[in-house]
Amino acid sequence: MEITDAAVVAQVLAGDKDAFRLLVDRHTRSIYSVAYRMTANQQDAEEIVQEVFLRAYRSLARFELRSSFATWLYRIAVNRSLDFLKAKKMTDAYQVSDNRGPDEEEREIQVAAKDPGPDRLLLSAEARQKISQAISALSPAERVAFTMRHMEGKSIEEICKTLNVRASAAKNSIFRAVQKIRQQLGPLVSVAK
Amino acid sequence: MKHLTEEQIVLHCYGDATDGQAIDRHLQACAECRAQFEDVKALLAEIPLTPVPEPPEYLEQKLWLNVRDRLSAEKSYRQFFSPSRWAMAGLMAVLVIAAFVAGRFWPHAPDTQKPPEMAQVNVNPQRVVLVAVGDHLERSQMLLIEIMNADPKDRTDLSSEQEQARSLLDSNRLYRVSAQKTGDPAIVPVLDELERVLAEIANSPSDSSPKDLQEIRSRIQSQDLLFKIHVVHSNVTSEGDALGKAPVNQRL
Repeated sequence: MEITDAAVVAQVLAGDKDAFRLLVDRHTRSIYSVAYRMTANQQDAEEIVQEVFLRAYRSLARFELRSSFATWLYRIAVNRSLDFLKAKKMTDAYQVSDNRGPDEEEREIQVAAKDPGPDRLLLSAEARQKISQAISALSPAERVAFTMRHMEGKSIEEICKTLNVRASAAKNSIFRAVQKIRQQLGPLVSVAK
Repeated sequence: MKHLTEEQIVLHCYGDATDGQAIDRHLQACAECRAQFEDVKALLAEIPLTPVPEPPEYLEQKLWLNVRDRLSAEKSYRQFFSPSRWAMAGLMAVLVIAAFVAGRFWPHAPDTQKPPEMAQVNVNPQRVVLVAVGDHLERSQMLLIEIMNADPKDRTDLSSEQEQARSLLDSNRLYRVSAQKTGDPAIVPVLDELERVLAEIANSPSDSSPKDLQEIRSRIQSQDLLFKIHVVHSNVTSEGDALGKAPVNQRL
């Protein structure tokens, strides 16, 4: 039977520091995904993941075993990403990969909603680029809140707990993010008939 | 009829609007709001999830090694941190370098009167220098890690780090000059970059603003300085260990 995260944490706190490696192996990829979605940069994402595990190790004694280690780590990752975005001037366009290989040409873009509805918009490359630019221009708080809500599917409650903000602030950030994206997209969007 | 606000429509698309039922009733009754709702909903459906590229296969291993090394180094730093220790180490380094340089260039004739066993020297000056340089790099690395880990919004008092930087700066200058004379291609550029960063830390105001701190951090990051110091430190340490294990008759 696989040893639980809580048991590994207990082991590390008991003095077996090398046991922390098991947590690194288990959670690196998921934390990397979070960091990448926030920063859209592999190098930055790797740096953030490293900082997340360092912070987690240093704060391990404060981890309350009643919550999930993965959730606790996720929250550290989000906050570290937010700190990173605030510190770093995000002037690069938020890259939505448009470098699709020949066998990917027929594939559609991944969508957020499970039921897209009948009036499906087919976004041109230019529109996708506009979205990228709009997301990159969001403030760190807007970007993180929007990514958590739209990309990660986190609830308002989870966003509030993670970022330590009120529900009104979280909702406002999400609304402003969508508003800015809409403004950027403007007349480029056409409804597919 | 009072229309819905854009915020209500956007949040309702996510199911996060307060009084969702009232909004639903309004949407049924108001064609204009319903059209806007459908537009926003369709747009949100088309915003793509960020495709996350596959990270390198060795990412977990790389992270674990980096985390383990950083934590070990921080522990060593805390254990050995002491301004008086630095001052003494700096003084010793100056004396050792001076002795090394003097030993290399001071002419001396072989002493035939000395018994053979006295000709063996147990201390290799070159190794001592390497150990001193390695120690200096380790302390510098710890200082930079402290700077990188400082929270910009919380930490504005850098006086402790500045004191450390001033002490390290003096030693760094000596080591850099010495390395330039010996023509070591690997270590000189790193000591050069390190010196600039140490000078920046030492000369910034003690009550630095978060922006000042961030500028120093950006400089460290852009030069990849921590990684370079780590590599040179590893090489210096290995070289020192190798000299320490070499047979006595090969040391001189």
